[in-house]
Amino acid sequence: MSDAPEHIVKSFEQELARLREKLIEMGGIVESQMALAMQAIAQRDTAAATRAVEEDAHVDALERDVEQFVVRLLALRQPVADDLRRIVGALKITVDLERIGDYAANVAKRSLVLTASAVPFNLGGLLHMGAMVQGHLKLTVDAIGEGDLAKAVEIWRADEQVDELYNVVFRELITYMMEDPRSITPCTHLLFISKNLERIGDHTTNIAETLYYALSGQSLPQARPKGDHSAYTAERGEKT
Amino acid sequence: MRQQMVPGGGPEAAARSAPAAVPEAGPRVSIEALDFYYGETQALRGITLALPERQVTGMIGPSGCGKSTLLRVLNRMYDLYPNQRASGRVLMDGENIIGPDVDVNALRRRVGMVFQRPTPFPMSIYENIAFGVRLHERLSRAEMDERVEWSLTRAALWEEVKDRLRNAAGGLSGGQQQRLCIARSIAVRPEVILLDEPTSALDPISTLRIEELIDELKRDFTIAIVTHNMQQAARVADQVAFFYLGELVEAGPSAQIFTAPHERRTQEYITGRFG
Amino acid sequence: MSAPRPLLRGRRKAVNALALGLASLATLLGLVVLVWILGTTLIHGAAALGPHLITQMTPPPGAAGGLANAIFGSTMLVLVAVLVGAPIGVLAGTHLAEYGRARPFAELVRFVNDILLSAPSVVIGLFVYQIVVRPSGHFSGWAGAVALGFILLPVVVRTTDETMRLVPISLREATLALGAPKWRMITQVIYPAARVGILTGLLLGIARISGETAPLLFTALNNQYWSMDLGHPLANVPVVIFQFALSPYDSWHSLAWAGALLLTVFVLVVSVLARTLLRGRTN
Repeated sequence: MSDAPEHIVKSFEQELARLREKLIEMGGIVESQMALAMQAIAQRDTAAATRAVEEDAHVDALERDVEQFVVRLLALRQPVADDLRRIVGALKITVDLERIGDYAANVAKRSLVLTASAVPFNLGGLLHMGAMVQGHLKLTVDAIGEGDLAKAVEIWRADEQVDELYNVVFRELITYMMEDPRSITPCTHLLFISKNLERIGDHTTNIAETLYYALSGQSLPQARPKGDHSAYTAERGEKT
Repeated sequence: MRQQMVPGGGPEAAARSAPAAVPEAGPRVSIEALDFYYGETQALRGITLALPERQVTGMIGPSGCGKSTLLRVLNRMYDLYPNQRASGRVLMDGENIIGPDVDVNALRRRVGMVFQRPTPFPMSIYENIAFGVRLHERLSRAEMDERVEWSLTRAALWEEVKDRLRNAAGGLSGGQQQRLCIARSIAVRPEVILLDEPTSALDPISTLRIEELIDELKRDFTIAIVTHNMQQAARVADQVAFFYLGELVEAGPSAQIFTAPHERRTQEYITGRFG
Repeated sequence: MSAPRPLLRGRRKAVNALALGLASLATLLGLVVLVWILGTTLIHGAAALGPHLITQMTPPPGAAGGLANAIFGSTMLVLVAVLVGAPIGVLAGTHLAEYGRARPFAELVRFVNDILLSAPSVVIGLFVYQIVVRPSGHFSGWAGAVALGFILLPVVVRTTDETMRLVPISLREATLALGAPKWRMITQVIYPAARVGILTGLLLGIARISGETAPLLFTALNNQYWSMDLGHPLANVPVVIFQFALSPYDSWHSLAWAGALLLTVFVLVVSVLARTLLRGRTN
């Protein structure tokens, strides 16, 4: 993770490595959930969608596992400095990953509904947004695994593009709905899907911020670059 | 001179009126470019550090890093040993206390010290306290009784020993003896208290009592504590200074040192990665 | 590690048994001699015990008498020796322990003191004879007391030095850290802490000098009559024992035995006292 010398207590060193592995494993599963969900939308693949939803239980279990492991480390090792920041960071990251998993599963579920109705228009914008978020998620999981400060900053900056793209997709879908009221049902689902993707982007940003503090001991500036100027999307605390 | 917190007569009342008069005061002791030598060996190199008034400064670092040496400079304990010498400046109220003209005994009244192992004198509990007081003040019998009670109370020992003040101090438990030593040093009304690993010979509960006591005492005294127990430094100190090989590597607020130290060596030491 | 071979184990046991046997034998031998001495003293001395010992003077040959003047004389000699030797010894020991420490001068003093400690008492007697008795022209109690003082001195110096150095450095630092001057530290903290050890040394010194004979032969000599004058020859138990034991008279012999018993019991009591003090300290 870094070029710092190893801890004198080897079992602690091993536990820290174990924690990192758990996070990487969780990140890997969430990544594949995301990939399956996007596949489900792009190719109307119901099997992929079902698998994405099923993986959610696995992610939840891993989150509880990491949480218990962190509590154990805090109680028994009483970590300080970078150890403390990384362990507490792991706890926060695991929560973000779990949320990302939830959003990915929700995207997959909605894709099942979409397959039941006709979608007579181009999904290019949405798929592009999905690919971008997927790329950020991969970068995030890599950054966690490698402890890479530069990648964390990159993710943090990149979210602006996702927000901008979300605005474009949002307007596009509103236009479709105004053109043809029959498209309101699929468009609403697509709207939620794009919203979910935007939220996933936000969580990757959270992870980047957590990672940055854990690695450097410093916080990223308060004001994050934001491309989201849409008044319709002001509801940030929203769930699902 | 700053106001003394205990006038001879009514210590209790004065002790209550004094605390927290100055929340963010300047340094009580300023160490500037201090070098220290044991014979030919240099044990401290260019130390510059301030002990903020009525705060606890924790000094940490591996054995032999110079933290205890620094403590022993502050009350001129090194004077006992002919081949030890210090250069640089240590300022208290503008006076360089390591200068040649300093009245060392008067300095030691202002800068008290508590050691690693409890050091009760071979006399009664009462006399242990009164001994130090008599060195510097002439008190009536009643005033002395009051002072003894006051210092034992401040050291959270009064309730445990008030019925056996005439008993030998050696009969107390280790934790009680250490609190007696703290009582003894505050009885002479110092301004600074130096604690050299004060809990390293004590069990965990006695240790917590001492830590609680330190927290209590910092309302009136400026405290410097050397400890090998990092959690203890984190618990009791406002400011932490990390020493390594005779140098001050880093000093800063405890919260900063223990969450995000600036120096790599500090981080490696406190996280247990010292190679 | 493998178990030792039976043969080796057998040999080891044999060696062990042999060594243990020899050591026990040596101990037994020592004990036998000691019991023999004590027994003889007790048997012969007890027969001569009685109140006359402390009421009557040493008698001329053939007459009845006691040891009153000798016991008084010995007490005086030891008392004066202690009054002179102990303060000087304690002060010298204090100097060595507190001010000398590792200085060359102190090391030299320690070395010389150790020589004095093991110097034959007859040499000291001769020395005092040369510096006190000859200039003054006659034997005297003072000379005897000085000789005993010279023997007591190194014992006291040594034990004071040792016990004061045993007081932990932390106690000194703790005292000085309160702003105490050094003399206060020594008198009010170090002495109380070392008191038992110093006292023990003094008692052992007293036990040693109270039986010394040789130096008194050259100094206090003896006096057949009651005398409280330290300026003249003074009766004392060891020299009386010496002279009476060598004499051809039975009555003198039994007085010598009685004196020997008294002396032995006194030394025993003092030694036990010293040991009790020491034991009290370790608790």
